[in-house]
Amino acid sequence: MHYVLRRLGFYLLAAWASLTMNFVIPRLTPGDPATAMFARFEGRLSPDALVALRAAFGFTEAPWHVQYLTYLKHLLTGDMGLSYAYYPSPVTEVIGTGLLWTVGLAGCAVVISFAVGTTLGVLAAWNRGGWLDSALAPVLAFLGAFPYFWLAMLALYLFGFGLGWFPLRHAYSHDLEPGLTLAFLADMGRHAVLPATSIVVATLGGWMLSMRNTMVAVLGTDTLRLAHAKGLPARQVMWRYAARNALLPNVTGFGMALGFVLSGSLLTEIVFSYPGTGYLLILAVRNQDYPLMQGLFLVITLAVLAANFAVDLLCLWLDPRTRAHA
Amino acid sequence: MRDAIRRLLRQRKAAVGASILLGFLVLALVGPFFVQDPTELLGQPHQPPSGAHLLGTTGQGQDVLAQTVVGARETLAIGFTVGALVTLVGALVGVTAGYLGRRVDDALTLTTNVFLVIPGLPLAIVLGAYLPSGPLRMVVVLTFAGWAWNARIFRSEALSLRGRDFVAAAVVAGESHARIITRELLPNMASLVASSFIGNTLYAVGAQVGLEFLGLGDVGAVTWGTNLYWAGNDAALLTRSWWIFVPTGLCIALVGFSLTLLSSAIDELTNPALRLPPRAPEARPAATPVHLAPEAGALLSVRELSIEFTTEGGLTRAVDQVSLDIAPGEILGLAGESGSGKSTLGSALLRLLPPAAAITQGRVFFEGVDVTALSPEALRAFRWSRVSMVFQSAMSALNPVLPLGEQFHDTLAAHDRTGSRAASYARARELLAMVGLKPELVDAWPHQLSGGMRQRVGIALALALEPRLIVMDEPTTALDVVVQKELLQRVVELKARLGFAILFITHDLPLLLALADRVGILQAGKLVEVDTAQRLRTEARHPYTRLLLSSFPHLGADDVPPPAADVLEQATATNKPGLAALPGGRR
Repeated sequence: MHYVLRRLGFYLLAAWASLTMNFVIPRLTPGDPATAMFARFEGRLSPDALVALRAAFGFTEAPWHVQYLTYLKHLLTGDMGLSYAYYPSPVTEVIGTGLLWTVGLAGCAVVISFAVGTTLGVLAAWNRGGWLDSALAPVLAFLGAFPYFWLAMLALYLFGFGLGWFPLRHAYSHDLEPGLTLAFLADMGRHAVLPATSIVVATLGGWMLSMRNTMVAVLGTDTLRLAHAKGLPARQVMWRYAARNALLPNVTGFGMALGFVLSGSLLTEIVFSYPGTGYLLILAVRNQDYPLMQGLFLVITLAVLAANFAVDLLCLWLDPRTRAHA
Repeated sequence: MRDAIRRLLRQRKAAVGASILLGFLVLALVGPFFVQDPTELLGQPHQPPSGAHLLGTTGQGQDVLAQTVVGARETLAIGFTVGALVTLVGALVGVTAGYLGRRVDDALTLTTNVFLVIPGLPLAIVLGAYLPSGPLRMVVVLTFAGWAWNARIFRSEALSLRGRDFVAAAVVAGESHARIITRELLPNMASLVASSFIGNTLYAVGAQVGLEFLGLGDVGAVTWGTNLYWAGNDAALLTRSWWIFVPTGLCIALVGFSLTLLSSAIDELTNPALRLPPRAPEARPAATPVHLAPEAGALLSVRELSIEFTTEGGLTRAVDQVSLDIAPGEILGLAGESGSGKSTLGSALLRLLPPAAAITQGRVFFEGVDVTALSPEALRAFRWSRVSMVFQSAMSALNPVLPLGEQFHDTLAAHDRTGSRAASYARARELLAMVGLKPELVDAWPHQLSGGMRQRVGIALALALEPRLIVMDEPTTALDVVVQKELLQRVVELKARLGFAILFITHDLPLLLALADRVGILQAGKLVEVDTAQRLRTEARHPYTRLLLSSFPHLGADDVPPPAADVLEQATATNKPGLAALPGGRR
């Protein structure tokens, strides 16, 4: 329990740090969002409007600490300001649906990729020098060197535009009413195949390689020697003794790589105009929609923190030694 | 250092990676002088590859080849710059934290961990959105978002180096922190710096391309990322113009792949376990005379057994034509220095040799059955049920993620000796009690036990299937004297009760002379002498045996074998010459 509380405390601290960075960055750097937006209108806005805009963004003449407290108060009440690109929708509303799509797409893809990659890593290490180890691993490593979004472009080009097997954009066909109907779910699945597959293909090699390497290390330990000496069936030695022990550092690594993988998935969404947070991010960048950009940064960060906490709990369940200190 | 680089290049991975990377560096440096102006609108938009434009034209009519070649320059320049900066910042933060420790470490580690869990891309976007556009912005943003991972690695390296003797010596000698860090720590991190730099460059190229694709680069510049940004904007997919985005993507992947190859080559250089182990030597059955046969009535008969290892310098013979017998219920001791082949011989009885080793000739008969000829399935059934083993490292040999009961259950179930999990647990409780542990420990995890307790669990496990022979490979070496004595007493009692034989391997000759019925002396893989413990004490024939005996000064030839009850006490006491050398030899 102590361990869980300590981790929770850490994530709260990390959340506070990102909130604060979100506040500090626009104020430390040259230029502010209101001035940038004002410049875009090239004199079509009156100077009064600029003051109003600055106030709307929280850039008042008040001292920093007052601005900071106001900022925190707004956040606590779920107020991230109004989106400029979707004016006058509040940022929270714009992000809300986007987050759902991202969690669904990237979440599924990452979990599938980790599960498959880890299994391949176990098999590759068990059969050192076999075809899985000497042929598939380099191929996956090569695929992993492509930017995720580029693989997405290629997949879309070949299977969307070229062969016409899959829809070209969006998360579902717009002539369908969203709901829990079989037709809608099937349609959603069809839309998710290409983006999800390109994320899986891009990340598979990484998981496989890291699991293979820890597994190789575990295979050389006395735990494995004893397991073989006891005359256990090979399958049991491989999974229950070797893989089970090699999994622990990889689950920790999974938590740490989440932010990185999510970043890649966000770019994949853009290629497919998938209506998740990544697609919103590019809209925000292109329209210089600062409130939306910052809101996205916060929401994505909080989601990653939550996922990391879940991974910590998973480690706790997997490792009796961590449990002992908990 | 030069030697390390030479070894690195000998590896195929490193050679391939380095050549690809070098090729791109040359392309980035001189390529732009040989192609057309990448920004000029030279032809019709969306033209497929042709003689005039080898890779076709973009959606605005620029030459794709020119854009790809020129794009390499800024992309790689930013990539390597950020790679170096991230390594520098990470190393500074990490080494400072790891070296200074305490509060500085707490503060820096906390900051590092916070940055680690904040996703890089959104952070880079928020920071990038407020900075003036240009290559400098990219460098700042990527360094800010990416330093943490490195700091973590360098910190743990600094921590482990700080504990080493040469650093401790420098601290005691009163050298300044700066000098210790630059003279003692950093030179020892050369390979880590190299692999981090490569890893960071990989990160930098990928993240840079991603940000530029989003439009957060300088969209007027020509880089691989902006090429893809324009490909997206100019509807490369819609117009089926694959040539606009494919060449750039391939270049990015090739650079990334070459960096991955290099870093994996460095990993293998520093961590030999990742290298493919050398193939075990082939058995030479022709060299084994057909007449080899087990001794009548012997439990175990080893006949002219040779074991060889494949090493970098060729084959090494670890065990050289050894023959020995063990009678039912006998304790045979095997003594020798480290490297004499005694542990290898012990493992070979269960055919538990490391991947690089193999039995190249000879036979092992157990109850008349040739163990060297068993099929994999027969071997599996043979292991543990006929011959079991106690490792020196039984403490680390237990599976850390399974409770003890499960590890007993696995063993019993693998040999069909249990009806149910509950029956296994009952048997495990019984076995734990036999070695003097509380039966409740059946639900404990290995990490909850002391070293001595784990060693007892190791013995309980070895007894689980009631084998006829137990190989004990330095089972007490890692334990303190008191625990050692208790454990050996328990073993002798159990042997008397259950009647198994023991092959006891140790470098501790006095212990063997007290414990074993017969003792064999191994020297450089050869069994130089086997005799009863009593005769070895008084009339050892081989000069090596006499040398070994004389290295324990209190074991004179006139030593009278003590009565059985005191055997172990004396044996364990002789481990500590300081105590045993006291007048009277006993406490």
